[in-house]
Order: sequence, then structure tokens, then C-alpha cells
Amino acid sequence: MWERNYQILLFDALNLSFLGLAIFLGLGGTDEEFFMTYVSLISWSGLFLTLVGFGVGVLFEGKQISTLGRILFAVPSSSAQSGPLPFWRSFWGIQSVVTLVVAAGVGLIVTKATLWEIFDERGLKGAFNLFVALFQPNWRLLPQAIYNVLVTIFMAFVATIFAIPLAFVLSFLCAKNIMRHPVARSIYFILRTLLNFIRSVEALIWAIIFSVWVGIGPFAGMLALMIHSVASLAKQYSEMVESVSEEPIDGILSTGASHLQTIWFAIVPQVVLPFISFTVYRWDTNVRMATIIGFVGGGGIGTMLLKYQGQAMWNEVGTIVLVIALVVWAMDQASAIIREALK
Amino acid sequence: MKSSRVILSVRDLTKIFPNGVRALRGLSFDVYEGEFLVVIGLSGSGKSTLLKCLNRLLDPSSGVIVFNGTTDVTTLKGPAVRDLRRQIGMIFQHFNLVPRFTVIKNVLMGRLAYLSFFRSVCGLFNKREVSKAHEYLRLVGIADKAYLRVDSLSGGQQQRVAIARVLSQDPKIILADEPVASLDPATCHTVMEHLKFINKELGITIVCNLHFLSLVREYADRVIALKDGVIVYDGLPQAIDEKWFEKIYGEGARDVQVH
Repeated sequence: MWERNYQILLFDALNLSFLGLAIFLGLGGTDEEFFMTYVSLISWSGLFLTLVGFGVGVLFEGKQISTLGRILFAVPSSSAQSGPLPFWRSFWGIQSVVTLVVAAGVGLIVTKATLWEIFDERGLKGAFNLFVALFQPNWRLLPQAIYNVLVTIFMAFVATIFAIPLAFVLSFLCAKNIMRHPVARSIYFILRTLLNFIRSVEALIWAIIFSVWVGIGPFAGMLALMIHSVASLAKQYSEMVESVSEEPIDGILSTGASHLQTIWFAIVPQVVLPFISFTVYRWDTNVRMATIIGFVGGGGIGTMLLKYQGQAMWNEVGTIVLVIALVVWAMDQASAIIREALK
Repeated sequence: MKSSRVILSVRDLTKIFPNGVRALRGLSFDVYEGEFLVVIGLSGSGKSTLLKCLNRLLDPSSGVIVFNGTTDVTTLKGPAVRDLRRQIGMIFQHFNLVPRFTVIKNVLMGRLAYLSFFRSVCGLFNKREVSKAHEYLRLVGIADKAYLRVDSLSGGQQQRVAIARVLSQDPKIILADEPVASLDPATCHTVMEHLKFINKELGITIVCNLHFLSLVREYADRVIALKDGVIVYDGLPQAIDEKWFEKIYGEGARDVQVH
């Protein structure tokens, strides 16, 4: 007999419930209106199907039929049966194929994918014209685009530079091997949670917040990138600090050095190169992010791109896209070379 | 030279790790000023734990350690622990140097306890400290390596840098935790000879963990043998015969000669 495992039962029940609802929504055409009209019917049938799923699960368990949930969650037992399972008992294969096919099918319906739109004559012609315009850039716009891309690069640079000292200090406060004392440990948890929160809010959202706070422009973009960089760098730095070798730490401690001296002389020398490497990569990432941030009022090349795109001036957009592509490529190469040299 | 003055007195020392392992089960012994005391025993018998309790790299669970007649080491806190560590130097099996620093900078690390954080970060070691550091490097025979990065040196040379570092902190005792266990037999004796010199000529007390009994017979003034966290032998190295050897290392163990 197989032991009762509620993780397996729950997984398979939710799986069945998902299949039922997906087919129902797929048949209904899955637009918002359909969903909102039948929301209570959908919820109740979802619950009903889950319960049915539980029943089916218990039945399969009795018959020793291997479901997908069992494959994923079953605790491996030492008393494994010998020989291959008969066809009807390896149900999980059929189950996973059906689940994937249904999910992909509903996905296509939800995203309203049609071949018709792709080969629509007017649309095709419009796209073709746009492409041609993009490849005929308006060179008179070049000086302005270069100025704005420089603003973006500096925005990313300043954000990175100002993030370094903050992230440096935070990285030690967020490292488990340093924050051992109970009081220190609670500071560690508070800071970790705070930084996780800051990081999980996209830089794009921070840019919206700061553009309201300090006004639209490069300053808002810089602040958004900085706060995000502090949280990201602090995480990467602190992981480095947590992986340092203990031997120099014991060595320095044994001379009678203080905690600060031990951090400075035993830990910092071990992490300084990875820190620089992460920081260079962060600058590179920030330049790419700064472009997008410009779209929501962060200034620089992004804001300029938004302006010309809104007026459908595709030759001008072509100039800007070209400048962005060149800068991103150059930054990518430069940071790769610097990071390679640091190894 | 060995005197009758007790410099370190250990009573009922116990160490139980958070995972429940009882590494030391009530050890009591004295260390006399100027002696070369060797601690032997199998891996896991508690040798390293014992040494790390003596300079508070580990906190003992119970017991008393009296250093220099007055202080109970186990009750010290904060700055007092650091002052204790300054007086009880330590060298390690894996040298525990800072790999990216030069040899001389590693030796100067022995002076950290004498400097404020600000002075040490700015590298403000005074002239006397620097010339002393060079002198100690000459003493261990690697004066010409002073400005090389320490990770470019061989194991034996690195251990000698560690000895120079420990000397620069002006210790009263040196704890040596398996100082030759990761060295080849030839370099083994160089390092042991330096420790012997420091003990006999500079008069610094040494407590040393060792694996090889042949080394013990050659260098130890006195031997303590640990087995499962208990002292099973305390006496002269010459008195460890076949019978004692089997008692310490277990039935069927055989001595390895290091020449």
C-alpha cells in the first residue's frame, strides 16, 4: 500500500481543476467580459473540480497508479517495485502531455494569436515602411541623440558610483557569517527583508515614484537606478562576504585584532575583486535600464525616443535606436573585457 | 628555559558544541613558563578545540583557565579578549595568512592589536614596528621574500611567515595547531627547529599539537595525550613506550617515522 501524501493529492487535484477551467475558458473565448460574467460559476466549479480531483487522487492511490504529483513529490522509498510499471499504471506521462497541450492551447487563445494578423496586407505594408524608415536615419538628429545618450550613460554611472559605498556597508550587515550575535542577527533579518522588497520593485516603478517626487528628468532616473543598484549590489556583495575563507579570519583574530580590523584585513582583501567585477557589470546593466527608464520620465535617450516614437517619426527613431544599440554593444564589450582582466 | 612558574592553568575545561558533540570532557593541566608542551592524540580527540579555547577563538562551555596567575580567561569580554589574544599568539595548520598581501604586510598584521582601527587602515605602522618585522623575517630565514605576495611562497615558507607574524605580536605563549601537518617531511624539521629556537633562545612558552610521535620525542619537553576529550597521559616524551602508544592511538596503530 502507498502511504497517504496530501502534497501529491493536492497537486493532482489542482492539476485536474486547472484542466477543467482552462477548457471551459478556452471554449468561452476567454475575454475579460466572459470571465467577469461567469466569475462565480468559475470559482465554484474550480472548487468542485478540486474536490473531485482529490477523490480521483485517492482512487489512483488505491490502484497504485503513478500520477504527475507522485513523480514530483513522492518520498523515494527503499522498497521500490522491481520491473517496469504496466502501461495503465504510469498515468503521469499522459497527464503531463495533456496538461502541456491544454496550457499551450489556452495560452494561444488568451494572447489572441492569429496567423491572419501576421500576413494582413495593410499591416505588412506598414511594418515594411517602418523598417525602411528605421534604416534611413535622420542624421541631423545625431548630435542631439549623442547628447542624450551621454546623459543616460552618466545617469547610470552616477547611480552606480553612489550605490557603491552604501552597498559596501550594507553587504557586511547582510552577511550571515558576520552578523552572528542575536542582536546583530535581527538587524540582519530586517535589512535583508528591506533590501529584498526594494529589489523586487522594478527600477521602472521606482522611476515613476521619483518622477513624481523630484520631477521628470535625469535626476529621477538616477535616483531610481541608484536605489535599485544599492539593493542588487548589497545582495551580490553579501553573498561574496558569506563565501569567504575562514582561515585568514581566524589568523587575524588570533593576533588580537578588533572586529572592524578583522573585516578590513581578513575579509575585504578576499572580496574586493569580485566587488569591482559586480560593480562594472551593474554599470553596464544600469545603462540598459536607464534607456527604458527614460520612457517613464527618467530623462536621457529614453525620453527622447518616446517623444519621436509618439509622433511616428520613424527616421528619427532609427537614429536613436542606432545610437542606443551602439552604446549598449560598446558597454557590453567594455565590461566583459574589464571583468575578464579582473579574474 | 623551563621554570617552575605556572603560566597557564587549566581546570575542568569542557567544550560541548551546539550540535551536541562533547569535544573536551573536563581537562585539567598546567603549562609552565618556558616549556615546550606537546599535545598528541588522534584526529577528533579535541586537540584543536583545546588550543582554540585557550585563546578564546572558541568559548569553553565550563571550566577555568587562569593565564599569568591572575586572569580567568573564560570570563573575559570584548577588549579584554583581544588583549588576551595579543599575549597568546597562534599558528595554524593552514598558516591562515592573508593570501593577497605581501609577506611583510602579513607580518605587520601581528601589530593590529596595538593600533587603532584608523591607524591600521592607513597602514601607519611606526619605523620600529617595520624594522622589527624585517628582523623576524631574518630570524626565520626569509628576509629576501619580504615584498613578495605571500601566496607565491611554498608551504614551509608560508608557515615561517606565520611564525614571524606571531613573533611581531610579542606573545608570552605561542599555540601551534598542527604546524607541520600540511608540510612535507623535509620542511617539517625546518619549521620545528624555528619553534625550538623561539622556545629555547627567546624563552617563549609553546603549546603545540602534533601528529607524529617521532617529532614529539625530538622536540617536546613534556607531553599531554588526549583521547576522546580526556587526558590519558601527562609526562615525559621518553616515557611513552609501546604500551602507552597503543593506549593513546588504539590497538594496532603503528608509529610513522619522520626524518
